Amino acid sequence: MNQKEPIIKMRGVCFGYSDTAPILKDLDFDFYKGDKIGIIAPNGSGKTTLFHLIMGLIKPSCGDIEIFQAPMKTEADFADIRHRIGLLFQDADDQLFCPTVLEDVAFGPLNMGKSRKDAIDISRRTLAFLGLTDFENRITFKLSGGEKKLVSLATILSMEPEVLLLDEPLMGLDIKTRSVITRALMEMNSSYIIISHNINFLESTTHSTLTMREGSLIADDQVHVHVHDHAHVHGDVPHHH
Amino acid sequence: MHISEGILSGPVLLSGAALAAAGTAIGLKKLDYDRIARTGILSAAFFVASLIHVPVGPTSVHLILNGIVGILLGWCAFPAILIALLLQGLFFQFGGITTLGVNTLIMALPAVICYYLFAPFISGKKTVAVAAAFACGFLCVLFSALIMAAALIFSEENFLEISAIVIVSHLPIMMIEGVITAFCILFLKKVQPALLSQSGQYKNGY
Amino acid sequence: MIEEPFATGNSAVHNIDPRFRVIAAVVYSFAVALCYGFVPLITAFAVSAVSLLMCRVSLKKVLKQLALVNGFILLFWIVLPLTYPGGATYPLGPVTIHQAGIAFAAKITLKSNAILMALIAFIATMTLATLGHTLGRLKVPEKLVFLLMITYRYVFVIAQEYQKIIKSIKIRGFRPKTTLHTYKTFAYVVGMLLIRASERADRVYNAMRCRGFKGTYYSLTDFQADAGSWIFLIIVFGATTAVVALEIFLRF
Ligand SMILES: Nc1ncnc2c1ncn2[C@@H]1O[C@H](COP(=O)(O)OP(=O)(O)OP(=O)(O)O)[C@@H](O)[C@H]1O
Ligand SMILES: [Mg+2]
Repeated sequence: MNQKEPIIKMRGVCFGYSDTAPILKDLDFDFYKGDKIGIIAPNGSGKTTLFHLIMGLIKPSCGDIEIFQAPMKTEADFADIRHRIGLLFQDADDQLFCPTVLEDVAFGPLNMGKSRKDAIDISRRTLAFLGLTDFENRITFKLSGGEKKLVSLATILSMEPEVLLLDEPLMGLDIKTRSVITRALMEMNSSYIIISHNINFLESTTHSTLTMREGSLIADDQVHVHVHDHAHVHGDVPHHH
Repeated sequence: MHISEGILSGPVLLSGAALAAAGTAIGLKKLDYDRIARTGILSAAFFVASLIHVPVGPTSVHLILNGIVGILLGWCAFPAILIALLLQGLFFQFGGITTLGVNTLIMALPAVICYYLFAPFISGKKTVAVAAAFACGFLCVLFSALIMAAALIFSEENFLEISAIVIVSHLPIMMIEGVITAFCILFLKKVQPALLSQSGQYKNGY
Repeated sequence: MIEEPFATGNSAVHNIDPRFRVIAAVVYSFAVALCYGFVPLITAFAVSAVSLLMCRVSLKKVLKQLALVNGFILLFWIVLPLTYPGGATYPLGPVTIHQAGIAFAAKITLKSNAILMALIAFIATMTLATLGHTLGRLKVPEKLVFLLMITYRYVFVIAQEYQKIIKSIKIRGFRPKTTLHTYKTFAYVVGMLLIRASERADRVYNAMRCRGFKGTYYSLTDFQADAGSWIFLIIVFGATTAVVALEIFLRF
């Protein structure tokens, strides 16, 4: 893949849940392989909406979206790329719909055409990676809020996506579970966008942060000492320019 | 409303099961995979709502709501009610292995009938919709009681008096269901009208 | 407010292959439902009671459940002795009691409780998740199994939402009475539940799409029938045959 080309490219994207109240206006965004971006912005500013646009769950009223260098025009276009992007939902109860944990974690790999054995193997490995080894037969609705969040993350990671979109992954978690997620993100070395209101968390897991103003993404200089909106050779190390 | 185990005769149990299976098959056929989650979750909501006890004088009755089930789900009321009864039977040990078919029929057939009778009026003017919703809730329970009575009488002709008691004792419930259905439809029309159109599905998508 | 009190346990019955338990329960229950003689019904009642005892579940809970379910049967005890003709009659004030009516009510009670106890023993001893997988393995249509799984999963989430709504109307002083206001309030609660359920359904469906859902629900559970499961099945089928044989021979 061409390193210079963004894997997510949005140009002039507009969206509103009704015609009278636009949420996103003329939004441009480039996301490159290896990028680790944080988004910190007020409630209701359209962060979750942005993720849903990237996943093709809602349709922009104007503008273009390109993902993995392919223009996204129809549901079928998105269906082809969805498994390569992992979206962690804000509410874990929306994400976990199977009665038991292992089934839920294996659901994605099975949909991608993996054999049952492979799907179970990768699910077990993912659960172990997140410290959830004994959870596979647990009933999902009997998990605590934090456990649900971790299992939700496992259902995403088991698909081995190239990009992660995490919508407030720390919400409602205690310090220990937060550190599990922080560690997992730092170890994985993948590309991701994180929506969070936690400045410390974004500082330790991302290279740059953006915020939203008047329906557009703009650089945010509250968190990081500087901003870059492109992949970076020193991407893994915090640094000054 | 359902009939306990051990009361109905073999032919009634088997015909009930056959009719319920046919209704469920039609419902499943109409249930596209993109609506399974929706139907299942609404079915769960109806299950929870049916645990609500509303007071009637000194006692209380629990809600049935098959009128609204019919309006929202159409033929999918069959599989949805079948599942809800299975859940009820196991969570509360009401039983319902041999009677599952008959009981599904008792609840779901009126729901489908009321769907055809009243759903077209629900999207209309407010007064029309309220009247239709009341009639839907009321008649749905009446039809259910009639099917229940028929199942009893076909099992044993000496169940005539019991059947009469079943129908009469459901009269206050019909009123309550009518009132609740009317208010509920009014509420949905005001707050979330999209839910009442059969396409109540995700908007803004591709 | 929703529980599965008998689903977990470590008795001999709990460890039997769930497929065998479901098949046994269905065959046995239908056989009992078709019986009308006292002898086969008492036999069935005994078989079910023994099965239930073998599950080592809380008898207190079982009895409480059975008492609740027998409410509908009570109606038959009140009405049938007065209306079901046959046998000896006993005058009781203005009405007459028919012996045949009492006998019939007794038979219904035996039959109903025998089937119920078998249900508790064989099926309530597994979670609905296991039942769903089992039905899938027994060739119940995939969509129906999927529907069962989703409903089971979200019943608990929605019950929690219901309790939140009820708390919020209670702290604002709502007391249920036989008034239009009460009915209106409950109607709004139902409406609110349906709206929340519908919104959740949209989100769940989206989450499923994001993970590549294309209409197939994969079950990962495999069941292994051990010798115990086969012995169980043979015993239940034996008991069923015995009950049916008693019914046939004593009827003619
Ligand atoms: N399904 C919907 N229908 C109508 N309006 C919606 C819907 N979802 C979100 N909105 C509105 O769109 C706006 C942006 O919502 P969004 O969920 O994207 O915000 P957010 O930045 O993620 O906020 P938060 O930090 O609270 O999660 C909000 O004003 C919200 O009320
Ligand atoms: Mg959000």
